[in-house]
Amino acid sequence: MRRAAVLRPLLAWTLLLALAVASLGADFAFGQATLVVTYAIAGLGVVIIVGQAGQIVLGQGAFVALGAYAQALLVQAGVAPLPALPIAAAAGALGGALASLPAGRLGGLYFGMSTLAFALIVEELLVRWESLTHGAAGLVVPAFGLAGWTAGTPAAQAAISLAVLLAVLAVCARLLASRLGRAWRAVREDEAAAAACGIAPAAAKLRAFAVGGALSGLAGGLYAHWIGFISPEQFGLVFSFELLMLAFIGGTRRLAGAAWGALVVVAMPQLIAVLRDALPGDWARSAGLELMLFGAVVVGVVLLRPQGLADGSGR
Amino acid sequence: MLAFLQVLSSGIAIGCVYGLVALSFVLIFKATQTVSFMQGDLLMLGGFAGLALHLAAGWPLMLSALAAVLALALLGAGLERAVLRRTIGQPHLVAVLLTFGLGMMMRGGVASVPAAAQDMYRLPFAADTLELGPLVLAASHLWVIGATMVLALLLAAFFRHTRAGIALRACAEDARSAALMGVPVARMHTLAWALGAGLAAVAGLLLAPITFVHLNMGFIALKAFPAAVLGGLTSLPGALAGGVFLGVAEALAGLALPEGAKDVVPYVLLMAALLLFPTGLAGGRGGGDGR
Repeated sequence: MRRAAVLRPLLAWTLLLALAVASLGADFAFGQATLVVTYAIAGLGVVIIVGQAGQIVLGQGAFVALGAYAQALLVQAGVAPLPALPIAAAAGALGGALASLPAGRLGGLYFGMSTLAFALIVEELLVRWESLTHGAAGLVVPAFGLAGWTAGTPAAQAAISLAVLLAVLAVCARLLASRLGRAWRAVREDEAAAAACGIAPAAAKLRAFAVGGALSGLAGGLYAHWIGFISPEQFGLVFSFELLMLAFIGGTRRLAGAAWGALVVVAMPQLIAVLRDALPGDWARSAGLELMLFGAVVVGVVLLRPQGLADGSGR
Repeated sequence: MLAFLQVLSSGIAIGCVYGLVALSFVLIFKATQTVSFMQGDLLMLGGFAGLALHLAAGWPLMLSALAAVLALALLGAGLERAVLRRTIGQPHLVAVLLTFGLGMMMRGGVASVPAAAQDMYRLPFAADTLELGPLVLAASHLWVIGATMVLALLLAAFFRHTRAGIALRACAEDARSAALMGVPVARMHTLAWALGAGLAAVAGLLLAPITFVHLNMGFIALKAFPAAVLGGLTSLPGALAGGVFLGVAEALAGLALPEGAKDVVPYVLLMAALLLFPTGLAGGRGGGDGR
């Protein structure tokens, strides 16, 4: 039973990757796989906050941005990429804690408001603090490397991301089985009852945001290397909503959902581009159609499967 | 002093727009417990609808503005009937994503019209200035302030003295009891969305002479969230007052603080308000059950 639970997804993902390599070429397929895995790490942050602790976060992109900028600045200052990653995660965690702090006692929708405000403040700061971040012009990030070896090929990058994702999944699984994980679920189900059982809801929520921010910050650190160039507008409101979509599609209750959600979110713009090219006429070339189709997919997913896509397969 | 008064008037005017959008958000939130993330897109659509009717179809300005507001109200009601009612009773996140997706479709729809995607337009009204002695005020600002005041009075009268308004308030207070008293709750939800969409369209038309009509004018609605929170998230007059407060604070910050600080002021205020006045600046009344 337990072996099947690990083997089935493993088989599915291997098959999918083989199919992608065969049809798209190895480099492109591995590049996309890297992106999917990195998105999945960032999305895990949303799964923790939304799915486990039952709160709302509308500014997750800011935590990814903090991680990415921390990583980029540290590496530029001469720190090796690997030891910089925990600091990137810490920057994300700090962001998560700060963003959720004002709404700590109110919870629910107020978290959405405070994280949204935090994200907009961060975006503005990244644009304005030009001496540090180079503003809208962005930062160039050197390749990920380890003791003289650099991860130049897409396959190596995919392997590193996958190793990080697996490690993070293992940590999260342990966390969810721990006292803190149980506290999150208790707060999600009924805050008053949780408080009556000796759980401090405000502390549990704060920790959920710190852990969720750390995961997204870590993903940001990796993302900065893979993309090689970061600028504030990459991490705007649309990105935050992409991560929300990711968690939603994946099903917020299960960790593995984040990977499926990431696959859909990364593949969607490309499928839309293919679809757009297949449509006749000039009007199909406009950027508006792409936006419209993306919106339609969001609406369709929400209406058809309000519980997320991964929920049906797993009990 | 003169510069101060001019900045103040423009702050109040833009604050009125924030307030109207916040009002539409709170109205929908209170009546249907649905978080709408598409008020900005409704605002943009309202601006473009008025523009299209006036410039392309050649209708008189007032008529096309009225028709645009009515069309948006119909759109709001239609969307409620078709899709939005399915979010009732679901977690807030479902409504947030759904309305965000609908908003994207609206923006994409407008963007795929070439003429709309490329240019900024101005609606030809209130373009001149008004001189009171040495004081020069933009007529568009006075227009916005006046229209907002009239609208607020109309809404207050609607909620106090009409059957539908009182039913809507009952529904927002306690939908179950309202249903037992014979209030058609489902129809009230449709009405709330129609009003919310119509109000957003009014905000868009009022904004038109100030920032022009363009594809991204809806981003102004992001500032409606701080306005709504400052007002306590569940109070209609609070939302309007919060918007005006925000507009003035922002304008004064632009005067006193360094470049760029102006844009973060609303969000810093939002976080400070949550920390210090969790039930809104008016405090106490109504509580703040935003969950």
